[in-house]
Amino acid sequence: MSALCPPPSPAVAKTEISLNGESPLLAATFAYWDNILGPRVRHIWAPKTEQVLLSDGEITFLANHTLNGEILRNAESGAIDVKFFVLAEKRVIIVSLIFDGNWNGDRSTYGLSIILPQSELGFYLPLHRVCVDRLTHIIRKGRIWMHKERQEHFQKIVLEGTERMEDQGQSIIPMLTGEVIPVMELLSSMKSHSVPEEIDISDTVLNDDDIGDSCHEGFLLNAISSHLQTCGCSVVVGSSAEKVNKIVRTLCLFLTPSERKCSRLCRNESSFKYESGLFVQGLLKDATGSFVLPFRQVMYAPYPTTHIDVDVNTVKQMPPCHEHIYNQRRYMRSELTAFWRANSDEEMSQDHIIHTDESFTPDLNVFQDILHRDTLVKAFLDQIFHLKPGLSLRSTFLAQFLLVLHRKALTLIKYIEDDTQKGKKPFKSLRSLKTDLDLTAEGDLNIIMALAEKIKPGLHSFIFGRPFYTSVQERDMLMTF
Amino acid sequence: MISAPDVVAFTREEELEDELCSEPPLPEEYSVPLFPFASHGANPWAKVAGSKFTRDFILISEFSEQVGPQPLLTIPDDAKVSGTFDLNYFSLRIMSVDYQASFVGHPPGSAYPKLNFVEDSKVVLGDSKEGAFAYVHHLTLYDLEARGFVRPFCMAYISADEHKIMQQFQELSAEFSKASECLKTGNRKAFANELEKKLKDLDYTRTVLHNETEIQKKANDKGYYTTQAIEKANELASVEKSIIEHQDLLKQIRSYPYRKLKESEFHPYEPEAALDPAETGCDQDLSTSDQAEPSPTHLYSHAPSYTPKLIKAKSAKCFDKKLKTLEELCDIYFFTQTLDQLHQIERTFRGDVCYLLTDQISRALLKQQTVTNFLFEDVSFLDEKPPEKQYRGCQELSQDAVDRKCSEESPAPKVVISLGSYKSSVESVPIKMEQELEDTNEPKMSESVTFEPQENLDYLDADIKGSISSGESIEVLGTEKSTAGLPKSESQGSLPVSPSPQAGRSRVGSRRTVSEDSIEVLSTCPSESLIPEDFKASYPSAINEEPYLDDDEDGGLRFTPRLNPGDADEREDLSQQESLAQVDSACCIGKESPNFLEAELGQKPCDEEGVVRIPPQPSRPAEQGLRGTFGGFASHDGISGGLLPCELDSRYPLGSRELSKSSLDEYSDSTSYMSSAASTCSDRTPSPAHPTCQGSERHKKKAGQNALRFIRQYPFAHPAIYSLLSGRTLVVLGEEENIVKKLVTALSIFVPNCGVYTKPVKHWVTSPLHVVDFQKWKLIGLQRTVSPAGVNVLHALSRYSRYISILDADSKTLRCPLYKGTVVSRLADHRTQIKRGSTYYMHVQSILTQLCSKAFLFTFCHHLHLPINEREPEESVAKRRMNFLKLQLGLANEDIKIVQYLAELLKLRYIQEPGQGGNPVLRFDYVPSFLYKI
Repeated sequence: MSALCPPPSPAVAKTEISLNGESPLLAATFAYWDNILGPRVRHIWAPKTEQVLLSDGEITFLANHTLNGEILRNAESGAIDVKFFVLAEKRVIIVSLIFDGNWNGDRSTYGLSIILPQSELGFYLPLHRVCVDRLTHIIRKGRIWMHKERQEHFQKIVLEGTERMEDQGQSIIPMLTGEVIPVMELLSSMKSHSVPEEIDISDTVLNDDDIGDSCHEGFLLNAISSHLQTCGCSVVVGSSAEKVNKIVRTLCLFLTPSERKCSRLCRNESSFKYESGLFVQGLLKDATGSFVLPFRQVMYAPYPTTHIDVDVNTVKQMPPCHEHIYNQRRYMRSELTAFWRANSDEEMSQDHIIHTDESFTPDLNVFQDILHRDTLVKAFLDQIFHLKPGLSLRSTFLAQFLLVLHRKALTLIKYIEDDTQKGKKPFKSLRSLKTDLDLTAEGDLNIIMALAEKIKPGLHSFIFGRPFYTSVQERDMLMTF
Repeated sequence: MISAPDVVAFTREEELEDELCSEPPLPEEYSVPLFPFASHGANPWAKVAGSKFTRDFILISEFSEQVGPQPLLTIPDDAKVSGTFDLNYFSLRIMSVDYQASFVGHPPGSAYPKLNFVEDSKVVLGDSKEGAFAYVHHLTLYDLEARGFVRPFCMAYISADEHKIMQQFQELSAEFSKASECLKTGNRKAFANELEKKLKDLDYTRTVLHNETEIQKKANDKGYYTTQAIEKANELASVEKSIIEHQDLLKQIRSYPYRKLKESEFHPYEPEAALDPAETGCDQDLSTSDQAEPSPTHLYSHAPSYTPKLIKAKSAKCFDKKLKTLEELCDIYFFTQTLDQLHQIERTFRGDVCYLLTDQISRALLKQQTVTNFLFEDVSFLDEKPPEKQYRGCQELSQDAVDRKCSEESPAPKVVISLGSYKSSVESVPIKMEQELEDTNEPKMSESVTFEPQENLDYLDADIKGSISSGESIEVLGTEKSTAGLPKSESQGSLPVSPSPQAGRSRVGSRRTVSEDSIEVLSTCPSESLIPEDFKASYPSAINEEPYLDDDEDGGLRFTPRLNPGDADEREDLSQQESLAQVDSACCIGKESPNFLEAELGQKPCDEEGVVRIPPQPSRPAEQGLRGTFGGFASHDGISGGLLPCELDSRYPLGSRELSKSSLDEYSDSTSYMSSAASTCSDRTPSPAHPTCQGSERHKKKAGQNALRFIRQYPFAHPAIYSLLSGRTLVVLGEEENIVKKLVTALSIFVPNCGVYTKPVKHWVTSPLHVVDFQKWKLIGLQRTVSPAGVNVLHALSRYSRYISILDADSKTLRCPLYKGTVVSRLADHRTQIKRGSTYYMHVQSILTQLCSKAFLFTFCHHLHLPINEREPEESVAKRRMNFLKLQLGLANEDIKIVQYLAELLKLRYIQEPGQGGNPVLRFDYVPSFLYKI
C-alpha cells in the first residue's frame, strides 16, 4: 500500500457498500484496456469503513496493473482467465478475472478484480474457487449485456443520429454490483462465522456417549453418508442455531482443513443467506419454520448438495456429480440464452428472467431421498461409539476412517487410469472395479467416487456421463412423440 | 424449501427449443459447454495431454534492459520437456508487468542513489490457448552495471493444470520464496564484492588522478589553471563523488539483513546441508552467511586479493556492455543451492495433482494416528529428520560421536515391563521369555535369552519326535520377560551376553540350557493337553523364568546406564519402574487418565485386566532424563565385531540383542547358540524394508507388481498371506536367490511391522535357521542347496516346520494352517482386474488400514477387556470379546486371529516406551498345517 502512486485521472466512479460485519475485502474494481490510454479503471466498489486502508488512487493503480501485459492476451474464444497476484510491496492480494468483450463497438479486454490485504491470504485461498465461480458467472451474463448494449447503442445512433458517450456501457455496472456486493457479504460472513480449521470432536455428535444421544441413529447415518456422497457439500437447516452448528461441526469432521475453512456456521440472531459453493453451511429457519433455498444458487454449486433438516431429521440429496453438472450446465445455458433473448433492461433483470422463463428448472425434484445405502459409514458409526469419549481415541479412529476413504479414492482413480490408459479408452469394467476394490455396496461406491471427484474433477462424467447423457437424449427424444 | 420464484418454473423445454430456433442462437463464446468433462474426447486426464509441453517445468526469465524479456533456463534442462512451447512468448507474457514499481535510483531530495530492497511478487496467470498456467515468482537482483542497479528476474513453475497451481499455491510460494531468498543472498554477497572492487578501483583511480593533478600543479607556473588541469580536477571530483556513492551503496547493502530481519515475514535462507567448502569453492564466511546473515562484516568480507584498475570516468554505453549472466550475478555457492532447490521443487510438484493432494491429506491423517502407524505405514517420511540421513550420519560418526549421539538421540533405558503376564487373546504359549526391554540406548549388548526347563524339554521330547508331519504345529516366537510371581524354574535364566567374547562364552556356557533343542522338545507336545500347566495358553500362566539377573551378580559385562548429573530422581524412577515391572502388570492401566502425558514415567499404561485404557497420544516425548552410555565399552573397542554406530540406535533394525549376538558371532564357534546366531547374521544384506528404501515409490511399485504376480500365480496365496498377517513366520525356500527374493518382496507388503521402522523381513538367508530368527523375522527367504551345508539348512527347517509356514518356491508348495476367512480374499483376489503393481499396492494399503482400524478398536475398546463386575468370570469377558470381533467387527474364522494379532502388537507397542524397537512375542500356536500344491 505504497503512497508512491500516480494520481488517478479522471475520477473513477465508486460505489460504497455498507456491510454489517468486518470486511476483509478492500475493494473491487472493473477495468478495461483502452486502445489509446491503456488500462483504465471504470468502476470501484469499496466497503464503507471509517478507516481508509486503500485510497482511490492506490486502488486505481492496482487495478490498472491487473491488465498489464494483457495486450498480449492469447485466450480461447470466450475464455475468462483468472490472474492472482500477491504483491508484497503493496501488501495486497488481487484476484482478477480477465475476459474479452464487445463494448462501445470495440472488442476489448476487461478485468474484474477484488483486492484484499495480504494478511488475508490464508483466509482467502480456501474461498478462491467460490469467489471465482461466482464472478465468472456474472461476467458471462455481463458480456452478453455489453454485447446487446452495443447493438442497442448502434440502433439508437441510427435512429437518433446522435451519440451519447456517457450512456455507453453504464448499465453493466449495476449488474456487476449485484454480484460484487454478495461476494463482499459472503467474505464478511466467513470472517466471522467460518468453521475453524481444527475441530474439537467434543463439540460434535461423535462425542456422545452413545449413538442416539444427540440425534437419531438413522438420521446421523443418513446425514454423514449423504454428506460424503455429495462430495462433502451440505446445507444444515434448523430452528436452533446450537443444534444446527453441532451437526455442521460434525459434518466438517469429514472434510479437510481447507474445506472446513470454506464452511460456515449458523448465526444465532438471524440466518445468513444461502451461499453457493460453500462445503457445509448452517442456516436458521425463520419464524414460520421454513428456510427459502434459492434454486438457482443451489444448482450453481460446484457439487451436489445434501439438505439436512435437524428439526424433522430429514436428509435429502441431489443427484450425483455427473447429473448435477449436466443439470447445472443446462440451467446456465438456459439462463444465458434468456439473457440473449431479452430485449430490454427490464426483461434482463434477474427476477424477471426467473419468473418468465420456465425452462430454468429442468427438474424440480432436485432433492431426493437417499437411494443407496453404504456399509462404510454404517460400520464406522457402529464402531466409534464403542470407544470411550473424551479421550483422543475417537479422533484417532476417525482419522483412520478418513485415511481409508482417501486411500480407496486414490486407488479407484488409479484403477480407472490404468484401465482406460489415462482416459484414452472408455471405462467398461465398473463391475470389476466394485469387486476388486471392495465397493460392491452402491453407497460405498458413491462415497468413494465423490471423494475421488474432488481430487480428480470430471471422473463422474467420464465414468457415468456417457450412458447418462444417452439416456437423457433418449428421454428427450421420446418426449417429443 | 426451494424459493417460490424458482418453484413456479417448470420444464417446458420443447417450447423453448422452438422459440430459440426462431431467434439467433447464443454465440458459443458467450455460453458454457454443456459437457465440460465429456465433450471432444475430454477426460479427467486430458488437460495435461493437450498442452505443448510434456510435463511441468520451471522457467527462469529476465527482463533484460537490452533485449527485453528473455528466457534464461529451464528446469529440467531438457528441450523435450518444454517441447514446442514458445518460451520466448511466455517469457514476454510473464515479464510484461512491472509489479515492483518501487523507486530505485536517485529519489527526490536524496543526494545518493538509494537501493530499494524490493520484496518478491507472486503471480498466477495462464495462457488458456496454449494450455499453460504458471506460478510466477518475481524477484530483483542487484547489478552495479545495470540501470538503477536492478535486474528483474522471475522464476515460473509452468503446468498444464490450472487448478494444480492454485491448489498448491501456498506450498509453491513457500518453496520458491526459499529459492529466491537463496539467490538474493548470493546476489547481495556478489554485489557487495563487486562494490568493494569498484571502490578499490575508484580509490586507485583517485590516487592516480590526484598524483597527476599534483604533477600538473607543480608543472604549472603560469599562475592559472589550464583546461587540462580543470578537466583533471573535475574528473577527480567526479571520482570522489562516485566513491561516496559507492560507499553509501555498500553501506546500504550491508544494512540489509538487519533491516529485513526486523520484518516478521522475512525468512532468511538457511541451507539445509552444509557443503564442503573445498568442493564448492566457498570461502569461510559461508557459514556465517548461512546463519541468517548475522554479521554483515563477515558476510561481505572478501578474502581473495584484488588488484585495482584504473577506471575511465565515462562508463560504456548501455548497449556496448555485456550484462552479467545470472550465474555471475550470484555467489556460486548460493547459485548452486538455488538450482538444487528448484530441481527439488520440480521433483516435488510434477505429476498428477491428485497424488500430491492425497499425499498431503494422508500425511496429516497419519500424524493423528501414531499408535497404529508402525504396523504397515512408512512413517519415516513423517519425521522431521529423514532416517536415511540419520543412518548415513550415524555411520559417519566417530566413536566419540557414537556415544554422544546415542546419548542424545536414543531413548533412555526404559521401564522393565514384565510382558510375561500379558494377556493374549490368541491361543499362544510363550515359551521363551527374554528381556528385550533393555533399550538400545542402554547398550548393554545383553542377550538375556532364557530358555525352557530342560526337564520339560525332555519330558516333551518323547512325544514330538517323529511327528513332524502330523497336523499339529507349534509356532514358536519371541517373548518378553516373564511374569513375576509364577513358579520359577531352575533351568530358566536370563542370559545377558557380554560383548567380551570370553565373558560371553563363559556366560553362555554356564547359563545356556537349551537353544534350538528347546524348541524341539516343545514341539513334541502333540496337543495342548500335554503341555504342562505353565505352558497353557494364556499369558498369565505363561512359563516362568528366572528373574532378571543382576549385573553385579552374573559377572557378565553389561552396559549400565549413565545417568545425567542431577538425574537422581530419574534414577529413582527407573528403579520404581523396574519394581513395577516385576509386578504383574497384566497389561493394565489403573486409571483412565486424560492427562496421560503428565503421568509419571513409571505409570502403568494398562490396568490389571489387561485393558489399555489410556488413550493413544499423538506422540510421547522421548525420555530425556536417562542417558545410556557404554559402560565398559571403551575397553572393548578392539572387538572387531564391535557395533556400528547405526546399530546402536534403537530405531534401526538391529536391536541390542541382535547386536550383541552379532558381536559374539565373531568370536564364538563352539556353542550351538553361537552357531545358530551366526546363521542369521551371516548375511548382512540390509533388508529392502529398511527406511532407506521402504518409502521409495519404486520399492512400492516393485513390491506391488511382485505381489500381484504372486496372487495370480499361486492359488494358495491366501493362507500364505494369512500366515503373515497372523504373525506366523513364513519361510520362502528356494534354490534361486532371485526367485526367492522376488517372492519375499511380494509378500513383504503383508507383513505387519513389529519394530519402529523396519519390517521383520529377511530376504535371503543361506545358513540354518535358529529359533531366534523366528522372533526377529516374520518373512524369511531361505536358500536351498544340495551341499552338505544345505542339508543342515533343511534339517533345521524341518525341525521348526511345525511352527512356521513354508513356501517352497521350487516345488511350488505351501505348508501352513488353513484359512477360511474373508479379509484376505478381499486383499488378494486372483481374479482381480487391477493392472499395475502400484495400484495393487494402494489397494492393499487401504485394506490394511481398515484392518488396523479394527485392531485399534479392539485394543482400545475398554469394556471388552474389563469384567462388568468383580464376579464376572474371565470366560464371560472372553466371550464378550469374541462376540465383539464377530458381530461388531464382522470377522469370521481366521480373520479374528489376524485382528487379535494386530491388536497384540498394538498393545505391546503401546505399553513399551517410545523408541523401543521391541521384537514380536515368541509364541507357538497349536494349529494344524496343510500342504498346498498348485
